Amino acid sequence: MKFDYPKAPPLREYSVGEGEATTAADQRILAKDIPCQAACPALTNVPLYIEHLLHGDPDACNAVNLESNVFPGVLGRVCTRPCEDRCRHQWTNTRGPVRICHLKRAGADRATRVVAPPPYFPASGKRVAIVGGGPAGLAAARELKRLGHDVTLFERQPELGGMMIHGIPRFRLPREVVEQEIRLITETGIHVHLNADVQAEGLQELSDAYDAVCIAAGTMQVHQLDLPGIPPELLISGLDFMHRYNHRQITSLEGDVVVIGGGFTAVDCARSSARAARRLLGHGGKISIYYRRSEHFMAANQEEMEEIERENILIRTLATPVRGRLENGHVAAVTLRRNVLDTSSQGDKPRMITVPDSEFEVPCRHVIVAIGQHREEGLLPTGWELTTGFRTSQPHVFATGDFATGSDNVIKAVANGKAVAEEIDTFLMGTRRMETVVRVQTVHCDGYVGRVRDHDLLDPDPMQVAQLQQRAVDNHEVELGFSPRGQQTNAERCYLCHYKFEIDQDRCIHCDWCIDVAPRKCIQRVSRVFCRDDGSVEDVIEATLAADGTYIWIDSDQCIRCGKCLRVCPTEAISMQRTERLHRPR
Amino acid sequence: MQRQMNKRRLSEDEEIKAAGLTLDFDEIAKRGVMSKEEYAIAKWYGVYGSRQSGNLMARIVIPGGVVTTPQARQIAQTAENHAQGRINITTRQSLQYHWLKVPRVPDMLRELAREQVTTYHGCGDVNRNVAACPLAENCVHARLNVRPYAREAARLLAACHDLDNLPRKFKITWSGCPAACAQPYMNCLGLIAVTVLRDGQPQTGFQAVIGGGMGWKGFVAQELFSWVPPAHAVALTRAVALLFRDQGDRFHRGKARLKFVVQRLGIARCREIVRENLHAEGVSTADFCTGPLTEVAGSIPQRPLVDSRLETADGTAVVRVRVPKGELTARHLRDLAELSDRYADQRLYTTNRQNLEFHGVAQEKRPTLVQAVQQLGFETDGIEGICDLVPCVGTTYCPKAVATTRDLTDLLDPVVRQDKFAGIREAVRINLTGCPNSCSPYRIVDIGFRGMRIREQLGSVEGWEMLIGGSQRAHGWKLGEFKTEDCPAVTEIVLDTFLELREEGETLTGCVQRLGGGPFYERVWERPLGDGAQPDGGTGTGHVGGEP
Ligand code: SF4
Ligand code: SF4
Ligand code: SF4
Repeated sequence: MKFDYPKAPPLREYSVGEGEATTAADQRILAKDIPCQAACPALTNVPLYIEHLLHGDPDACNAVNLESNVFPGVLGRVCTRPCEDRCRHQWTNTRGPVRICHLKRAGADRATRVVAPPPYFPASGKRVAIVGGGPAGLAAARELKRLGHDVTLFERQPELGGMMIHGIPRFRLPREVVEQEIRLITETGIHVHLNADVQAEGLQELSDAYDAVCIAAGTMQVHQLDLPGIPPELLISGLDFMHRYNHRQITSLEGDVVVIGGGFTAVDCARSSARAARRLLGHGGKISIYYRRSEHFMAANQEEMEEIERENILIRTLATPVRGRLENGHVAAVTLRRNVLDTSSQGDKPRMITVPDSEFEVPCRHVIVAIGQHREEGLLPTGWELTTGFRTSQPHVFATGDFATGSDNVIKAVANGKAVAEEIDTFLMGTRRMETVVRVQTVHCDGYVGRVRDHDLLDPDPMQVAQLQQRAVDNHEVELGFSPRGQQTNAERCYLCHYKFEIDQDRCIHCDWCIDVAPRKCIQRVSRVFCRDDGSVEDVIEATLAADGTYIWIDSDQCIRCGKCLRVCPTEAISMQRTERLHRPR
Repeated sequence: MQRQMNKRRLSEDEEIKAAGLTLDFDEIAKRGVMSKEEYAIAKWYGVYGSRQSGNLMARIVIPGGVVTTPQARQIAQTAENHAQGRINITTRQSLQYHWLKVPRVPDMLRELAREQVTTYHGCGDVNRNVAACPLAENCVHARLNVRPYAREAARLLAACHDLDNLPRKFKITWSGCPAACAQPYMNCLGLIAVTVLRDGQPQTGFQAVIGGGMGWKGFVAQELFSWVPPAHAVALTRAVALLFRDQGDRFHRGKARLKFVVQRLGIARCREIVRENLHAEGVSTADFCTGPLTEVAGSIPQRPLVDSRLETADGTAVVRVRVPKGELTARHLRDLAELSDRYADQRLYTTNRQNLEFHGVAQEKRPTLVQAVQQLGFETDGIEGICDLVPCVGTTYCPKAVATTRDLTDLLDPVVRQDKFAGIREAVRINLTGCPNSCSPYRIVDIGFRGMRIREQLGSVEGWEMLIGGSQRAHGWKLGEFKTEDCPAVTEIVLDTFLELREEGETLTGCVQRLGGGPFYERVWERPLGDGAQPDGGTGTGHVGGEP
């Protein structure tokens, strides 16, 4: 018809405007819109839990975390926080990222009703054995139980928790926190066998007796350091040191301590030594960390580095130990050699170049070696081997956590534990029973979600930390959690990226009023839009003249969810949707 | 420094307002530029941004729509001095300059003040220019002369300092009779003079309606009181303004206007609050009526202001000046003032169709005056009819505009002037607004255009949402969205269809109200309307029948 003008198709990102979006592209759009969630290995819905805190509901906040990352209290303290590196809030340099991790802890600290997430399916009659009761094994156990299977957990130590109990010092992660969250899992009806050291034979037996077996035995074999001049038995392994320290077998240390390594264990050993040696308060011997690369490559984050400094621990980098020296049968010194980094080298970690004639001796009484660990190869019966995707050469035997991936952090272990549970379920039931969709709901609240632009620019209250005197007493926790005000000001900073602002191109009349009020370059007049095969926007060409503008388009990547555009739009073309990843039974 | 966190749900404008509403334009002139905050506050002084950066607009308030000839001359002189000699008449009977520069503002204000003319409260979140029937004192249908009430209300509300920071603008109009020529149903507060039977006696007073409005969302005013004694009518304006001050949304500016308050609270609750406000100030509402009353004064023809029906009470003549697009030169304004001194009542009257009028012209002087006006290049007939196109300023000046209303006006002019439409010249009114703010109220006329851009395969072109069959109490029906180049053709189809379907004496709106939009839709789109629904995105409110 004469007045039916041909038009460019309307732009809409999700495959549905309202309801459940199910395509792969929908998942990708969610990942782009909520970068922190995408960065979390367990895909925690960060903005949703922060929104619950913002509205003063720590129970709901904790429930979101419990569902996704299984150990909110633990991860709220020790997570490596990949989410914070991706948080939108730092793109504009407004006082750094949202303190996502600490807020998770705030929710866990203040939650009063903590209940285990509900089962997905009724009992299947299938039995699964899990070897290893660390974060991966526990996460797998919880999910398998929810999927309806009968789960038996075998742990070689007298208690569950793995690295969370034995590896991480209590002043970073109090025991009660771990125990409480483990109890929530085991109480759902998981059979637990403690002191059950399953080796190759045992594994063979389990594989005969159970419908599926999952190995989550971690990496208990430490990398050895060959240090001429000191017999290996006089070198303390970092893992061993932490285990003994956490079980109060090391209460005091005499003399200087040298810790070799730059990972979490090295730092934890040094901080634990500082406590054992009362070095915190300036007494006792010197505690030093020697690491072969630069500080940049150490595992500890900025806040922890500051605490290390405060606790009187020296960090010396770009040094590799070459030999040791004994006196009267005791360790007396380590000799190290300087390196420089080869900045031209490729890859994540640069190569090191030895500096000639740079050796120096560091007198010390103890050398703790924490340069990493690997899995016990002997655990697998002969002929078994790991393949890909959590599988092994035995069809009903699976592997997960550090045992499968090599030594990694708690959140990855949890994520892998959850993932393997679904693989096992699919194997047992012959079909994939869980699905992921994105729920898209239009919210009518005039774009107001309980926060205003000023909140973006808040200087958030920092987390409180214990005084050194306090820390010296019985492993007192260093980070004390947010004050109520700290919790509120920190929660208010989050843009709540699970809200999405979008323009209905068929209603938009190109008045540009939204562009005028927008606080940032979040809305553009664009002439061309380039989409990927799946329909998501890859790039746009901005238009200066009104006549060149095909669309007025919101770049949800730049949007800080202020709602101004929605309120000003005279044609009600702009909608606010709440998006949420749902993982649930099909 | 951290911003204060204790005023969370306030819009940015409210925060600026909270900091104070006083400006010194000499200080600003010395500096030569205005800050964002000063721009926001300048509105209270009637000074607003313009589309051309560096230009300002200033709106002169004309309470009740009357200027004396000395005032008119001063306004003309000041336009010449500071605003490139151009003056625009608005649909709320104010006058505007569009070519001001920052350094000229203080002199402009001082010059106007010489004749007690002001731009103060021309814009801003205050009671705006109070409008009234153009022919108030002399219309044959007027139940009473509303002009003094309009001027008194303007004086009162300007003097109330507790009303200088409302949530948004507040608009009052006074209509002399139920014909509603002053557009009471599309104002925040409309007062309509009525003569009703009370205790068996005819008594004249006001019906009060509130919560009407155009803007991005059209609302029809609802009845607050069916009768208010004239003595309390002005007090009522303040009581309603207080209702608005206290209840308007100060976070979401787009939903701040009184119409949203009425929508949110309901008319009954609003009525209670207004009564409380009146009682608090010692005004008894015992006499106020609610519920239907019968009007007993004489019947009123439809559209009493069209040329053929215009009738004065005292028999003097009215001579009207059709001001194309509402824009005048200073020279013309001065000449018209001169003519008023000579042949009329030494005043000029502004109308909501952006025209000017002479009142009190002796019948025998009428031809001379008409001729003089025509010699100035103005038409003196066709007012309130099809040729009296009313565009807002559009992209010519307005920073908000999306479309060039004046260009479309030029395109439509030859269409509506065709001889074949001679029979319907008084049966159609056409308004054109450049953006959804609806400064030219496009929903309440027979044919309304609202500017937009229409997406193409690549880029976009100017276009218009077109409504037909609107009236104050039943907003227009959406016919479609058309590119500018197609609007003349569509308009012609609509008018042809109207010619065909029209019943004797019917207006286009009457015809659409009788038949629905369907027949027009079918002719334009050459396809049936389907299930009778309005095309997508229609802004009309559905029809209740019967103008206004
Ligand atoms: S602002 Fe909030 S939702 Fe957005 S990326 Fe940061 S933590 Fe996630
Ligand atoms: S809500 Fe709208 S105006 Fe605010 S940042 Fe997002 S796109 Fe921009
Ligand atoms: S304010 Fe609304 S209509 Fe105007 S350009 Fe933005 S989305 Fe389009």
